[in-house]
Amino acid sequence: MSSDQTLSADVVIVGSGVAGSSIANELARAGISVIVLEAGPRVDRQHFVENFRNLENKPSYQGPFPAVPWARHPPNQQTPNEYLHTSGPNAEAYQQVYLRMMGGTTWHWAGCAWRYLPSDFELKTRYGQGRDWALKYEDLEPFYYQAEVMMGVCGPDPAKEDLGSPRKQPYPMDALPISYAAQQFRSLIQEKTPWRVVHEPQARNTRPYDSRPTCEGHNNCMPICPIGAMYNGSYSVYHAEAAGAKFIPNAVVYKIERDSANKRVTAVQYYDPDKNSHRVTGKYFVIAAHCIETAKLLLVSADDKSPNGVANSSGHVGRNMMDHTGVQVTFISGDKALWPGRGPLETNVIDNFRDGDWRSERGAYLVHMVDDNQVDLATQLAISKGYVGRDLEEQIRYLAAHTVRLFSHNEALPDPENRLTLSKTNKDILGIPHPDVYYKLPEYTVKSCEHTRGVFRQLIGLMHGTDEQWTPGYFPQDHPSGSTIMGTDPTDSVVDGFCRTHDHDNLFIASSSVFSTVGTGNITLTVAALALRVADTLKKELIHA
Amino acid sequence: MLDFRKTLSALLVSSALSVGALSCEAIAAHAQNAAPAATPTPEATSTPAPTSAPVATQAAQPVASPSATGTNPAVTPAANGMASAQSDAAVMERGAYIATAADCVACHTKLGGQPFAGGLKIATPMGDVVSTNITPDADHGIGKYTEQEFEQAVRHGVRRDGAYLYPVMPYVSYAGMTDQDVHALYVWFMHGVKPIATAPKPTELTFPANVRSAMAAWNFVTTKEQPESGDSATYDPLRRGKYLANALEHCGTCHTPRNFMLSEKQDRYLAGGPLSGWYAPNITSSKTAGIGNWSEDDLVAYLQTGHAKARAQAAGPMGEAVEHSTSRLTDKDLHALAAYILQVPAMEDDLEHKPRESFGHAVDLPDLRDKVPTRIDDLSEMDGAHLYDANCAACHSRNGAGTRDQYAPSLFNNTTVGSARPDNLIMTILHGVNRQTAAGHAGMPAFDGHSDVQRLSDSEIAKLVTYIMTTFGSGDPHVTADQVSHFRKNF
Repeated sequence: MSSDQTLSADVVIVGSGVAGSSIANELARAGISVIVLEAGPRVDRQHFVENFRNLENKPSYQGPFPAVPWARHPPNQQTPNEYLHTSGPNAEAYQQVYLRMMGGTTWHWAGCAWRYLPSDFELKTRYGQGRDWALKYEDLEPFYYQAEVMMGVCGPDPAKEDLGSPRKQPYPMDALPISYAAQQFRSLIQEKTPWRVVHEPQARNTRPYDSRPTCEGHNNCMPICPIGAMYNGSYSVYHAEAAGAKFIPNAVVYKIERDSANKRVTAVQYYDPDKNSHRVTGKYFVIAAHCIETAKLLLVSADDKSPNGVANSSGHVGRNMMDHTGVQVTFISGDKALWPGRGPLETNVIDNFRDGDWRSERGAYLVHMVDDNQVDLATQLAISKGYVGRDLEEQIRYLAAHTVRLFSHNEALPDPENRLTLSKTNKDILGIPHPDVYYKLPEYTVKSCEHTRGVFRQLIGLMHGTDEQWTPGYFPQDHPSGSTIMGTDPTDSVVDGFCRTHDHDNLFIASSSVFSTVGTGNITLTVAALALRVADTLKKELIHA
Repeated sequence: MLDFRKTLSALLVSSALSVGALSCEAIAAHAQNAAPAATPTPEATSTPAPTSAPVATQAAQPVASPSATGTNPAVTPAANGMASAQSDAAVMERGAYIATAADCVACHTKLGGQPFAGGLKIATPMGDVVSTNITPDADHGIGKYTEQEFEQAVRHGVRRDGAYLYPVMPYVSYAGMTDQDVHALYVWFMHGVKPIATAPKPTELTFPANVRSAMAAWNFVTTKEQPESGDSATYDPLRRGKYLANALEHCGTCHTPRNFMLSEKQDRYLAGGPLSGWYAPNITSSKTAGIGNWSEDDLVAYLQTGHAKARAQAAGPMGEAVEHSTSRLTDKDLHALAAYILQVPAMEDDLEHKPRESFGHAVDLPDLRDKVPTRIDDLSEMDGAHLYDANCAACHSRNGAGTRDQYAPSLFNNTTVGSARPDNLIMTILHGVNRQTAAGHAGMPAFDGHSDVQRLSDSEIAKLVTYIMTTFGSGDPHVTADQVSHFRKNF
């Protein structure tokens, strides 16, 4: 079925997460007409809070967000699951979760807002590994700051705690107070190791900001901040709508049309939930649909003109899949109680392994001391040890106070063999194939993870830890990236330094899918900064025109 | 006559608000002015200029040093016998303090605007009354006013050109100011305030409200404060308290109900009245309908911080009054003001027969955990308990007790919830709380149609108000979605 109605705007954006909505907001404020097509529905916070409270499995980040059938997302991180099919030697390590709905995956993130290091953009030049990005840190610096202001990022005083990414302005908000658990951990690291614990930059209010309240430390940033103290893409959606951008929910884009020369995109087509087709024309198009869905859309749009998919003359669409695949351990400290689980989930990081000459041999990483509530784990452990009655209660109390959870973000490298393809067997109700991903952890990352395990063992020893529980194999960090990789050479990359596709002059991609390498910091701030740079380019071209 | 009354009513109600309650914009404006680390507007956070940090607006503070006094020839301290004994610095200091106590900045500063440069729109059904520039700029402000002309405006509502001011300007109260304080206020405005060379767009009301001369008739019949005399700083505490309450803070402007001519009903002094959505409660010494059970310290804490534990907290126009004015009074003045208010003759109320703060106790939410998660597109409306659980319990706690430090206050022993009138609870849910004092910031997000946190429908708010007041307060207020809609649209 096809609809008569043709929609049109200066800029058509696919995806309403942090990337799509922030571009829409910037453009709408400049008087440019914008249509944003979001595959998922409109949603609101209160229903997620209730879903979270109804959930038995509290640590399930996807749990409160049961997807709609026309825009499915992975229901959990299990293999196999009903949507994202992974294969290869490290299939389990690529079970990424994300959300398809208005506002995007930042409905459940921990608010970690790292800038990348200058070296992260020049891995090839500096260390002979991976690739260089087609831009430098300095190119992105103003947009990093713009993104920090947009989201409301708090962070340490750069004069006191230099995180290695040069700043022209201080953070928009002061750092968070340090939790008791974090204080204990900091003291230990400072006294007994050559390393340091830094305050992680956070897109979280430490004062009223942007009409939203100050963080109260509910400790469930993931899966849902109950009070709106943490940034999520829905705020940018609201702001963009107030500025005049049009958002269309439940609009599942399945085709990208090009002109006869295959140089310019002319329209996109989407299905509504009843599979009526609609066409949207525009001057510029931005795909901002998450790393996995963006690659999927480009591949699904294959036709006679582009048999391998849109923007894919290089053959690199869907390749070079990366993540911060890491390792994770929990153990019971034999030292003083830490009482984790008060304050935000992730605020304290050992950053000594983010950069060094050894990056020519093994990947960088950062270590999170995860400050989440450990009562679940403590209860399981106490029961498994056979405690009952009052002893059980005491043990739960003791273990919950002494549990330490550590995980790492380890750097991956772009390997074309790590590849997203369209499922030949599984399709959604609209007939659109599910994504399949083959994943083999690069040797560079394996070495990095080995190093991390050594550091974790050292920390367990220092804290006289017992009852170690290592997550088997590797731990997916939900930071998928690389599927439309950035580069200067159109034969081995998909977009240029401005995130414009090499193949189509008016098609941009705003997503972690453009990352050339993945560094170690959480990816969202870099996604937002790249998106704001896309908005800047579009504004210049549209206003100049 | 009927039309005239309606018009006047609108104007008076506006004035009663001491501004701002009419639009959340205004509330935000003042919050910004006061909070050095103010929240940026969405514009500020989302407009690109990568160089633009969220810049806090400067607090309305004197810009000139007191030594600047005397540079304006129009000022003749010697003309005032009492003032002549004072040093210039002391006059300036007094003027600044009087301006704070009279809360001039509240009305005469617009959202994000320069202090006292005017431009705040006060919405009325007859059009917007726009506050004027009262900085000492000669062309755009009051720089050409002589002290006598200034006095005529402040105490009698007459402009330099002879036109009548709308009584949005509380000259009926300011009429009680002493000569010495008017003089000090004049000196400070001329020398302590930075001149701003812009004039807001003038007020344009529709007929008959645009007939300023009509105000002459109203001025004739309305009750005005009698001018005090002598040095107000030397008054005994009770007289000082009365002076603060009536001539400066103009408490009665909001808290005293109005008669058929919309003048304050002096026989119902401070007995409470509605004002554009909010309800300024009975603050007489009645132990049933007023605040007769409050101690002086309770009231001082309230005026100083906007919060008296297990009693009340200030939001809306009172939040602004606390932020800009009462929180900046000296301890001595606060005690004088509180002591005076607490001895105001008791007035009873038609609806409230039990102290508002006496209602309620902790009540745990029922067990709501009977459902599996709903699909993300299921936005179906929840019942009151679920709405409370999802939107309120995170801060006010499952049992309504609030946070341990009462940053989020308890909902029982809370005048907003214990009132027989749901008005202030509805308004608080719609517009939130944003109050900054030296004691810190108090904030609750808005849940109206512009909220980034959660946008609640009329019906959801009605259910929530019903749940909260029935569970923790004075009982079922029978609030309907239509009522909430009225508050949302009109206030």
